Amino acid sequence: MRYHRQDTVAAYLFLLPFLLLLTIFFGYATIRAVYFSFTDYDLFTTPNWVGLRNYVDLFRDPLFLSALRNSVLFAIVVTTIQTFLALVMASVLNQKVRGIGFFRAAFFMPSVTSSVVITLIFLWMFQRRGLFNYLTHQIQSAAPLILTFLAIVVVVQVAHVAWERSRRLPAGLFDPALLVVSLLAAGVGTWLLAVTGVVGARDLPPVDFIWLQTRATIPPGAPFWLSVPIPLAAIMIQNIFTTVPTFMLMFLAGLQDVPKSHYEAASLDGASPVQQFFQITIPSVRPVTFLVLTLSMIGTLQMFDQVAIFGDAAPLRSMVTLAYFVYNRMFPGAQTPEVGFAAAGAIFLALLTLTVVLIQRRLVRSEAS
Amino acid sequence: MRTIALFILGAALVGGAFAQSIRIMGYGGSDPAILVRLLDEVVGAQLAEEGITVTYEPLEGDFNAALFNALSAGTAADIFYIPVETAPGIIATGKVLPLDGVIDTSQFIDSLVEAYTVDGTVYGVAKDFNTLAIHYNIDLFEEAGVEVPNENDTWETFADKLRGVSALGDDVYGACFPAGWDRFGAFAFGAGWQPFDADGRSNLQDPALVEAVTWYTDLVREGVAVQPSDIGQGWTGGCFATDQVGVAIEGAWILGFLRDEAPNLQFGTTSMPIGPSGERGNFLYTVAYGVNTDSPNRDAAVRVLEALVSPEAQQWVLEQGLAIPSRTELADNPFFDEGTPEAEANRIVFAGADDGNVYGFQFGRIGTEWMNPINSALVEIMTGQSTVDEALSGAQADLDIVMDRVR
Repeated sequence: MRYHRQDTVAAYLFLLPFLLLLTIFFGYATIRAVYFSFTDYDLFTTPNWVGLRNYVDLFRDPLFLSALRNSVLFAIVVTTIQTFLALVMASVLNQKVRGIGFFRAAFFMPSVTSSVVITLIFLWMFQRRGLFNYLTHQIQSAAPLILTFLAIVVVVQVAHVAWERSRRLPAGLFDPALLVVSLLAAGVGTWLLAVTGVVGARDLPPVDFIWLQTRATIPPGAPFWLSVPIPLAAIMIQNIFTTVPTFMLMFLAGLQDVPKSHYEAASLDGASPVQQFFQITIPSVRPVTFLVLTLSMIGTLQMFDQVAIFGDAAPLRSMVTLAYFVYNRMFPGAQTPEVGFAAAGAIFLALLTLTVVLIQRRLVRSEAS
Repeated sequence: MRTIALFILGAALVGGAFAQSIRIMGYGGSDPAILVRLLDEVVGAQLAEEGITVTYEPLEGDFNAALFNALSAGTAADIFYIPVETAPGIIATGKVLPLDGVIDTSQFIDSLVEAYTVDGTVYGVAKDFNTLAIHYNIDLFEEAGVEVPNENDTWETFADKLRGVSALGDDVYGACFPAGWDRFGAFAFGAGWQPFDADGRSNLQDPALVEAVTWYTDLVREGVAVQPSDIGQGWTGGCFATDQVGVAIEGAWILGFLRDEAPNLQFGTTSMPIGPSGERGNFLYTVAYGVNTDSPNRDAAVRVLEALVSPEAQQWVLEQGLAIPSRTELADNPFFDEGTPEAEANRIVFAGADDGNVYGFQFGRIGTEWMNPINSALVEIMTGQSTVDEALSGAQADLDIVMDRVR
């Protein structure tokens, strides 16, 4: 008994430094923020109690409503896509292939690069004469060649497989050896057609899609709560790119625990890789999926840095998120800081995040039981 | 023994009373180096004699946010920069010392003093200022066989000259027009638009603004002017340095840039073109020094402020080609008549301060947020996403939200 008590004391002693920091910088700050959210504090005058006025005003503020819409859509879209992509990438990287270590490191690069640096690079790629529009233009111009190439691949492959089967040889539709032959044939065929001038690249004007300086939304004409502003979509793409690798790493760790024998048994029973992915991989990493979903939800709802660096590059309402709204009201140009209002926004964001995570937990639990 | 100790203690106290340390908070970038040189070479010795030492603390990143925080927390320096665009907000905090009866501001350019006056009280002394001017590439105009811009140009003749230059080739443009109020606004003023009415509201449907927006964006739609980002540049100066763009509409800050980036570019400078209102339009960009109300060494801080904007200090700033001084007496400075393109550019920028419809780069208590809707509208029109009327009515709706918030 005494032994146990000593253990507890030791544990608390070890916890003390962290608890102290937590109390000062988190506990105290939170209490102050909650208090300020019920006042009209502006950093320079004595705060006056205003009750729930700040919270009511939030829902009268069009910028806040845009921020709420943007944050919720951002969280849903980004979390869904990046969780799926992370799982797919993890299962690809879980194979035993020569040089897999290189690919793991390369795929992980976006997550270890500073998000500020990536945002600056993406800002250039999203310009009207940027990389995204350039690539789209190249692909559109070369579309006849690409389509010819693909068509020849399909025709040759199908013909080849049919011929092999007619000789009673086992050949799948995606047989790698035959595919190599088809690709070579398509390459030569397309080259011949291009040289003889039957097909060629089209001469199109440069693509002028406006990613940043626009108030347009996708899909066009959708109701306010369902329309994603294009600049926000640009930030979504960038955010998915930067955070997928982190989650991929978590899934990879989870996948290492799945026994290889499951896959071997499945392939003996004739399950395709896609079936194996949905029937074995996804169910086995369920606990990791919950962790990834939770972290992703929290991270996306609190999206700030990438929006802040976009700065003046896009209209504020087309990319503002809740966290950026709080900052914007705290330091609004030449206006006096609206600390009370900003604090109300911050508390709302905290409650929203908490609610989302609790609902998610409840859902995952009920599904498990 | 005891007497010696007392003597030392006494000396330390007396010495401490005399040696006063004054802190200045300002921009990062090149400002720290400039201020250190100004102190070392011009005003530092005199201040040291009076027992005042000065240190400069650059606030990197978002200056405004950092300054508000410092002012609220009581850690702000004795003297700090007050950018003209955020001055009304900073002054409204009550942390800026009124300078009436403390510093004689009658020696400074009126419009600059006006920008830092709230309810008849002066709160800041402009350290220097800039306005916009037309800088033109002499060789390009010669090649195109077009007369270079001059001070008699109206919008029409100016646009025709730009058309002549852009006809030189697909990659050559008459001008770079950024989609931003910070440059476009000068043309809005030239059309006679006043950004704020008596109630402090802005009307973006005003015919004068519509006229200016149409003229400015039509030149881009026509291909005569181009947005800097469309030719891979961040600002008009960058466009100009490529030798493919006829004019740059910038302040004197472009001179140092051209010296470094395009030393062989032959350029000349002239005033802004005359707008439909019969006047030129122009901006005043400036930064002032303000004194912290809570400064423990207020008298010493005022003394340092006086030294930093003294005629000697301003002469030095001018001769170094750093900025245009804010004192009226420097208007007849021999430096302006040296005949070099740089001196000429400085003279025209200086003269821009009171030629036509000139307004401070300021937005009342609304702050820089005021510009965003207009900037978005300019892009939408320039890129063909919407017409002038559609874009401006959309911008008006966004701006109303911002203006309603500032009660």
